[in-house]
Amino acid sequence: MSIRKYVSDVETNWNWHGIRLISALVYLTMILPLIVVVVNSFSAQRIATFPPRGLTLDWYVEFFRDDMFLSAVWVSTQVGIAAAILAGAIGTLTAMGFVRKPFPMKKALSIALLTPMIVPPVIVGIAATSFFAEIGLDRNIWWLIVMHTLLALPYAFLIVRSRLYLFDETLEDAAMTLGADRLVTFREITLPQVAPAIVTAMVLSFVISFGEFTASQFWVQRETTTVPVVIYSMVRTTITPKVNVLATLVLVITIVVPIVGLAIQRWLTNNTN
Amino acid sequence: MSNETASTTAEAPNRIDSIRQRLMESERFGYLLSPGSGLLWVLLFLFLPMTVIVAFSLFRAGEFGTIIYEPTLENYRRFVNGSVYHRVIARSLLIGVVTTLIVLPFGYTLGYFLGRSKSRWTPILLGLVVVQFWVPLVIRTYAWIPILGRQGIFNDFLLWLGVVGQPVEILYTTHGMILGLAVSIMPFMVLPVYSIVSTIDEEIIQAAKTLGASDARAFREVTLPLSWPGVVSGILFTFILSAGSYLAPQLLGGTNDRLIAPVIETVFSQDFNWPFAATLSLVYVAMIVGILYLFSRKADIEEALEGTQL
Repeated sequence: MSIRKYVSDVETNWNWHGIRLISALVYLTMILPLIVVVVNSFSAQRIATFPPRGLTLDWYVEFFRDDMFLSAVWVSTQVGIAAAILAGAIGTLTAMGFVRKPFPMKKALSIALLTPMIVPPVIVGIAATSFFAEIGLDRNIWWLIVMHTLLALPYAFLIVRSRLYLFDETLEDAAMTLGADRLVTFREITLPQVAPAIVTAMVLSFVISFGEFTASQFWVQRETTTVPVVIYSMVRTTITPKVNVLATLVLVITIVVPIVGLAIQRWLTNNTN
Repeated sequence: MSNETASTTAEAPNRIDSIRQRLMESERFGYLLSPGSGLLWVLLFLFLPMTVIVAFSLFRAGEFGTIIYEPTLENYRRFVNGSVYHRVIARSLLIGVVTTLIVLPFGYTLGYFLGRSKSRWTPILLGLVVVQFWVPLVIRTYAWIPILGRQGIFNDFLLWLGVVGQPVEILYTTHGMILGLAVSIMPFMVLPVYSIVSTIDEEIIQAAKTLGASDARAFREVTLPLSWPGVVSGILFTFILSAGSYLAPQLLGGTNDRLIAPVIETVFSQDFNWPFAATLSLVYVAMIVGILYLFSRKADIEEALEGTQL
């Protein structure tokens, strides 16, 4: 091995070490705050220090006595599930239309469909609030569902569409040649192929709905407060350790639900292939 | 009774057949309907409300949060003459640029690392980035409060290092806000870069090196240009999300950090001046459309929006 080659290898290693070091630093900044929240939810002190001096479950006990928290978790869960079903269904239909059907201005219309990703959430919130007020509707849980569906729709659309692009349409032709009608073909051939993507879309829609704050703050009411709104108002007013309990539970929900969802998705994929 | 049951069961398959028949005949209609459902939703609940905003911006606010429905350009005049709102916009854009300049090198490095690493831990490390998308932003933002405070870990660490003699103020300052913003937006840079870098064939880079290129040159002339679409997608998201951020300025920023999104919210929910909030919203949307227009001359917007998908 020539010296030149040796030097070059050392350089490569040094570069790689640098890259790993920076990556580790980024991971630290992403994960440390979440660890602090979880640990502080068990901290015995009111103003938690890290690492905590003494652990307790008192905040959890207090949390489960508080109806406002439980109601927020319940509202967020309902809205999240409803938005996931709606965004999943509409996103799938829309994606099917975009992939299968030729129609004019497709590019412009698909960007129109993606605008909820780009329009700042503050403006989505204000625009919808003004609109609903103008047509004389009181804010209620249906607003949240409708608007969270809007916010999740572009993601659901993109996920299902990219799966449909990969889908082999000759499979459908084959089924129909063999005598299946369009409905049977959809149920037996198309749906199982696209199902994993639909599950992913629904999981993501649930997560988007569950965590959305900036736009939702305009749509909630006392009885239909969602989890992020409760966390925000608690942090703005008094930091009580109960907010860490709520955040910890949300962490568990928003991490476990997608993992279970993706496990189902993997199972669906294995079953079809 | 039994007659009725018999007749319905006899009719049922017929009815289903006829529905099927109709569906097959109306194939064209069905296809028309399918892209329509999503577009209708966006039209009804985003575009229509936006036109209401346009209308509101042409009225003025009366007392007690009422709206006086007489057309006027007063709100636009107020914005044009109000240097405080110019400063808010300029500051938002500046925060967007600074955050992007911070997120770009770190996010690229991590994306590059994930795309090149062959460790069996890579899927888990990638999962840790994806999980960031799942955890609500409000949690990822407020979580910095106990870290950045005077008694927080960050200050403990600096004191322990001996860099500072006494705790520094970082919570409720612009620095703290940018740190929180940069970390929360990081995944939007990491994932598009990762998904592109992981598809770059390593043999191309080896070929460049065999031809005598140094590591730096191979990176500059091969890897970087090939990963450009991911970078562009990351920059677009980082800039738009940070310039329009709401939570980080509210929870981590100082009193000087009045950015456009929180200001609009204040005018709307606290001053109850819906017409002026509408005007500010339209200015803000115009700004973003302008940025997207400049961007669309360099790259494909739809592709960039898709870039965040794994």
